[in-house]
Amino acid sequence: MTDGSPPDLSVDLAPRNPRELRLANPVIAASGCFGYGEEYAGVIDVQRLGAFVSKGITPERRSGNAMPRIIETPAGMLNAIGLQNPGISGFIRKYPPMWERWTVPAIVNISAETIEDYAAMAARLDEQPGVAGIEINVSCPNIARGGYCFGWDPGMSADVTRAVRDVTTLPLIVKLSPGATDIVAVAEAVEAAGADAISLINTLVGMVIDVQHRRPLLANLTGGLSGPAIKPIAVRMVYQVAAAVKVPVIGMGGIMGLRDALEFFLAGASAIQIGTAIFVDPGLPIRLIDELQAWLEHEGFASIGQIVGIANEGFRRGDSAALTAWETAGA
Amino acid sequence: MEMGHESGSSREFEGQILAIDPIMGDSLLLTVSAPPAIVQRLRPGQFFNIRCRFPSAYDPLLRRPFSVYRVDVERSALIFLVRPYGRGSAWLADRVVGDRVGLLGPLGNAFTFSPRTQRVLMVAGGVGVAPLVMLSDEAVAKGMDVVFIMGAADESGLLASSELAGSVEFVAATDDGSRGHRGLAPDMTADYVPWADQIFACGPEPMYRTLRAVVDPLRVNRKPPVQISVERGMACGLGACLGCVVETRHGMVASCVKGPVFDLDEVIL
Repeated sequence: MTDGSPPDLSVDLAPRNPRELRLANPVIAASGCFGYGEEYAGVIDVQRLGAFVSKGITPERRSGNAMPRIIETPAGMLNAIGLQNPGISGFIRKYPPMWERWTVPAIVNISAETIEDYAAMAARLDEQPGVAGIEINVSCPNIARGGYCFGWDPGMSADVTRAVRDVTTLPLIVKLSPGATDIVAVAEAVEAAGADAISLINTLVGMVIDVQHRRPLLANLTGGLSGPAIKPIAVRMVYQVAAAVKVPVIGMGGIMGLRDALEFFLAGASAIQIGTAIFVDPGLPIRLIDELQAWLEHEGFASIGQIVGIANEGFRRGDSAALTAWETAGA
Repeated sequence: MEMGHESGSSREFEGQILAIDPIMGDSLLLTVSAPPAIVQRLRPGQFFNIRCRFPSAYDPLLRRPFSVYRVDVERSALIFLVRPYGRGSAWLADRVVGDRVGLLGPLGNAFTFSPRTQRVLMVAGGVGVAPLVMLSDEAVAKGMDVVFIMGAADESGLLASSELAGSVEFVAATDDGSRGHRGLAPDMTADYVPWADQIFACGPEPMYRTLRAVVDPLRVNRKPPVQISVERGMACGLGACLGCVVETRHGMVASCVKGPVFDLDEVIL
């Protein structure tokens, strides 16, 4: 630090988009863990967040899955909420008008089962005041392909991204599924199809068996695993993807404190999302903003951008020697 | 750094354990300090999400919901009834006086008395007794007549009637018949349904199905009304995750903000 000013935490998550997605700091509340923002208004200073991502919105209203929907797991949890939401029309009536009066950028997470539905929702959000960007959830079954998850396939993920890109100039984030066989291939495909940024990882599909009743515990049978249990997988995938793409990467998966957050930045994330931790430690995102700034200052960095990816020496896809060396070295 | 500490707001705070007292066999009453504004404004039926691990640990990850058994205004403290039957509650039951625990709350809605209510019937199942003790105190303070039916597995699991105000009529039911009626708490409600202006219940979900079966044939025009507190596993406690929903006549609603107290006639059990 030469001029004595505090380290710069701001970040633009859509540098190749004229509409920009400029955040005052790189800490974002993750989709599904923060409702529509108002739920936490009485608990934390929501406006201080870098941004937040809404619950997943679908073309039609959904009442969600039967109960039980959540179950705790070792250092984590499984959830199968089933995208309970008011649908795009009910959503647009209620939330963007509220967000328009807020200073914090609101990003809308969208989910659909056909490419046409993704595009139709994005088109309606395009000129909607109060909406700062779109995050595409590609971890949905593609009805036209027999329910195979969009996000597991580079081509299908790119098709969704392109269809949405064609109908909106809003900053566009694609949220990758860790269930993809080759997450780097999916990242490269959505980047080429017009994504402004890539966020990862979504939850991993898991199951808990209720031994007493001898059946899966969740009514939905499977659920998404989140929390500190998945963090090493998330860090590895962020590391791989950040080495392969030029667009900003937003890292998430089990961040519970400053050290976890720093791992993601060092691996190549330009920003982070906080999900499950908000449930158990709602003050964490705001605390992290201050702790990040203090850490950067202490370590002599002028901006958050200076630490992005500095642990990342490249991770070539299919390079088993690199993988083995990396695994041996640290994990 | 204005907010570098543990607590992000007044609804998220750390309390200190001021007392631990045994109650109801293997359970404990945990007295935890809390800001006066929270203690004074707390309504019977509201709950707190309590962190049941050391802050640096990740397991068990989720907070646990506990409704308040009673408040101690003089000591500015909340009293929780803790039965160590799971990993979270067992951790909490292992604390000692002076330890600190993380609380988020108060959360949820509360039991409510109708303006003309004079006679109230409480129906408690096991540790579900907690919020009804506080509600009972309030009813007595308002000059109401209270009948308090409690069910437990055996005699050791019952609340000592001395925990309630002297004017409260206490009726016991045990699964094994070791004290009071042999059977479930709802079995004992029939005699009191015509008498009561309102019924308040808190216990496991099967108890509510039994309660409905017992009281419905005796009610006229859905009177007396029945308020129940629904316990669901939950994550956020703030209506964000939708993990704790209850199916009602108006759809799936988050029990942590629209509940935990519901009208029995509104809930699909």
